[in-house]
Amino acid sequence: MTRKVIYLLCAFCLWYWLMGEDRDALTAHAPVVEYYQLKIPDSLPPPVYNFKNNPLTKEGIALGRHLFYDPKLSVDSSISCGFCHQQFAGFGHYDHALSHGVLGRTGNRSVPTLFNLIWQKDFMWDGGVNHLDIQPLTPITDENEMGMDLRALIDRLQGNQTYKKLFKAAYGSEEVTSERMFKALSQFMATMLSFESKYDSVMRREPGVTFTAEEQGGYRTFMQKCASCHKPPLFTDYSLRNNGLPYLPSMNDVGRMRITNNTADYLKFKVPSLRNVLVSSPYMHDGRFFDIFQVFDMYDHGQEKGNTIDPLVKNGIPLNPKEQRQLYMFLNTLTDKKFIKNQDFSEILITD
Amino acid sequence: MKRLLSLIFLFTYTGTAAQQVQLDINHVVGGLPMQLKTATYSNTAGDTFNITLFRYYLSNFSFSDATGKTVAAEKGYFLVSEDSIPSRKLVLQQCPKGRYTQLHFMIGVDSVLNFSGPQSGALDPMYGMFWTWNSGYIMAKLEGNSPSSRLPNHMIQFHIGGYRAPHVTQRMVTLTLPEPLVVGQGKTPHLSLEADVATWFDGAYKVIFTQLAGFMAPGTAADRIADNYQHMFSVKKIVNQ
Repeated sequence: MTRKVIYLLCAFCLWYWLMGEDRDALTAHAPVVEYYQLKIPDSLPPPVYNFKNNPLTKEGIALGRHLFYDPKLSVDSSISCGFCHQQFAGFGHYDHALSHGVLGRTGNRSVPTLFNLIWQKDFMWDGGVNHLDIQPLTPITDENEMGMDLRALIDRLQGNQTYKKLFKAAYGSEEVTSERMFKALSQFMATMLSFESKYDSVMRREPGVTFTAEEQGGYRTFMQKCASCHKPPLFTDYSLRNNGLPYLPSMNDVGRMRITNNTADYLKFKVPSLRNVLVSSPYMHDGRFFDIFQVFDMYDHGQEKGNTIDPLVKNGIPLNPKEQRQLYMFLNTLTDKKFIKNQDFSEILITD
Repeated sequence: MKRLLSLIFLFTYTGTAAQQVQLDINHVVGGLPMQLKTATYSNTAGDTFNITLFRYYLSNFSFSDATGKTVAAEKGYFLVSEDSIPSRKLVLQQCPKGRYTQLHFMIGVDSVLNFSGPQSGALDPMYGMFWTWNSGYIMAKLEGNSPSSRLPNHMIQFHIGGYRAPHVTQRMVTLTLPEPLVVGQGKTPHLSLEADVATWFDGAYKVIFTQLAGFMAPGTAADRIADNYQHMFSVKKIVNQ
């Protein structure tokens, strides 16, 4: 009888030990996740983003989306990533020349669009940020953007019940680290692919989809005069160039030279993708042009030809009114309505 | 459960302890002990200054023996900071057994980790040692005040970084040991190092605060200051036990 009791007690202890609170610690690194397969059209080059270091999971993407739309990432809980990166504007900031920030502050460059980021090697208008995972560090900590201290942010997220659940689902434990946060944001941003425009349908020879005569004319002009920098299928070669945009003393933005300290990089800025271009005005690194026709005019007769102007545009790009009109019609075919309305990327309301 | 884990931990600990090397670092300025904020120092140019923050990365520790054979300690990154006593006591793990006559290490963080996205541990960007506007680690940071400085509030502010040619700021240090360091079974040798901050400004490249009171980007001044502080370390004591 006594022996039986001892056995039972032992068994109970064993069970209690196995079920005890420390169990989490043992299973912490084996979360049950659902891996997510990104659908990339065959015609594209392999992405530069290394998914081996950050495999996409449904839970990781969901956490990233929550972070992207959470104003708690800013010092006064007023501004989320999605505040400036608006889906209907191709994740640019519609109608805003310069980025906005906490406490009514203003930055000194325009908000870049966000899509097809996994092909991009460096970020920002001057290419100063060298990895997608580390990119959000800049707007989060910049005093003119979200103004948040990184350590304070990690503490803030760690104290939030929703994040405890989301981090646990994505990573197997509730622990919030900056690396986990950045990688989740990357996972969400990696899924933002935009290859469903009319242009893509035409290129894929989908039945019943063709360019109109005007679009076709614009396509011809584009391939002749624009495509060496705004190279399809991504509509950028991600290079940094001086396109002849006049220097503004009031902004004193020297572009890439700030990063390299090299005078050869004076006034060089990243070539932006032209996908979704007509929904993401204004244009240029300082958002000075609100209308795409002002951009055409700049290339036609408005350049400032300094020492570092790119050889490809140093003689300007002559565009007569007909070419401009057709170019506009072609650029319109680069708007991806499915992308800017995709429910997987849309804003979620965060109240806690 | 906790007790069981600590027991297991204890066993593993004693198993590898033989291969640890302990290292402690003491900071001085021209031979005077470093005291943040309160003490006043001067450089050879005659500028007086105080120090409010002193912090740097060490990594890639290895040892050489008399035959010239070099072996590496376990890969580790250490953020050493004057304001944190624990950060100045380093434990090098998995050091192979041997009698070593030289110690080698890097001041800074390997180039590849400067463009590999966010890291954890000592390399977590939340420690303020990662540039946000121009990605890459700040390898070493020294801040303070000097009446000679023309910057706001007479501050001096040197954030030394840069990993891309031509402005590369990682520096390898080799220290010849005054007596052999013995790593072996049952022994945890102890090395005491000293870092003299005067070298930052009084090396081959002279820093005069009236002309240069701050530098916070990759560039030539950062490269030269890194050349200077490459020589800031010396070995004070070795205890083989």
